[in-house]
Amino acid sequence: MILLPAVDIRDGKAVRLRQGRFDEETVYADDPLEAARSFVEAGARFLHVVDLDGAREGEPVNLHHVERITHELEVPVELGGGLRSIASIRRALKAGADRVVLGTAAFTDPDLLDEALAAFTARVLVGVDVRDGRVSVSGWTRETQTRGEDAIRLMQGRGVTRFVYTNVDRDGMLEGPDLDEIRRVGEAVRGRFLYSGGIGSLADVQALRDLRLVNLAGVISGKALYEHRFEVAEAQRVLDG
Amino acid sequence: MSARPGIAILDYGMGNLRSVYKALEHVGAKPELTADHARVREADAIVLPGVGAMPKAMERVRALALDELLRERVASGVPVIGLCMGMQLLFESTSELGGAEGIGLLRGPVEQLDAPKIPQIGWNEVAWRRSSVLNEGLPDPCAFYHANSFAPRPNDPGDVLGTADYGGEFVSVVERPPVYGLQSHPEKSGPDGLRLLRNFVDAAA
Repeated sequence: MILLPAVDIRDGKAVRLRQGRFDEETVYADDPLEAARSFVEAGARFLHVVDLDGAREGEPVNLHHVERITHELEVPVELGGGLRSIASIRRALKAGADRVVLGTAAFTDPDLLDEALAAFTARVLVGVDVRDGRVSVSGWTRETQTRGEDAIRLMQGRGVTRFVYTNVDRDGMLEGPDLDEIRRVGEAVRGRFLYSGGIGSLADVQALRDLRLVNLAGVISGKALYEHRFEVAEAQRVLDG
Repeated sequence: MSARPGIAILDYGMGNLRSVYKALEHVGAKPELTADHARVREADAIVLPGVGAMPKAMERVRALALDELLRERVASGVPVIGLCMGMQLLFESTSELGGAEGIGLLRGPVEQLDAPKIPQIGWNEVAWRRSSVLNEGLPDPCAFYHANSFAPRPNDPGDVLGTADYGGEFVSVVERPPVYGLQSHPEKSGPDGLRLLRNFVDAAA
């Protein structure tokens, strides 16, 4: 398992939102590259970058920052936020992203999903953002009626094998993940998934590790790292254990 | 030892070479993106990068006569390293997209990984067969970032420096001085990836 520090970009700054709310933002670095660099210097092996402006606009807005990050730093980067056309996905990959995370588009545009999977195969991940048990789309502004695990099964039926599962209610709260929920997700996912949402301490990281889910490939952490609740290297050591 | 070895990164119009450039600069080299034969002949060492499909890349390499140039430089003892698909180009042939010839600096074919899911995209541990200038100071096994569907099958087992496992063992690092190759992306493999590039650069100095 790997730890993926999250670099969420809004207005050209590295920020964290609480529970996906755009009006509850904390700025952690004026330059996303510097935030990313500090994580890499601390031992990160992969970065999870989110273009928050893009998620709201429906197309990437901060690709120039993504490009700076992929050019300057020696780790792979996955990017989500506003990727709702093949052209946008191509631009994201051209900016140096190794993997793209499709959210809204995966749920609302089946043709695009098919096309993206055919063209980019394992570089495509689907983000399942769950709020109050239901999948949330359009930059967490719209809820659907689909339950998280149902969404995963639906996507698997279309050929998706890699997921990023986020509990939006827990995101930015530092109160720990719901381990039963993650177990259920682990049972639903036939490929691999990353978990995100609510990681607040090294004990939370250890608890995820202790689940010993073979398909849980990694854990995404944002606020806890920015606030030095634990450091990248020690969390990675726990996950390696 | 010259202060900063000049490294020609062969730019044949495929893929983004910026991160390779930055990584080489970071480890003390003086990199240059070029396909100009005169410039390449002045370089202390050569990097052959590559992403995408090998047959398409080979067409471009041949159109720029970089295959002949590489044979000439290797015959003169200049270190050459192929990265990712660039490593595959060093071999004789590939079965990708119906098949194509490679540059043939190393003997053997390039074949699809025998795994249920390809490409592999992610960190994978490389176990070393022996110690060499390339893996000096690196742990065994050592994790590198891989993104590939194909891998070479060297005819000479002595060319294999490191292997990894993805649905079975595959060859991840090759060495037949002055020719070297890495199936992974050292420029995306953190401090260990940089160390390996530094080892290559130091060998060129």
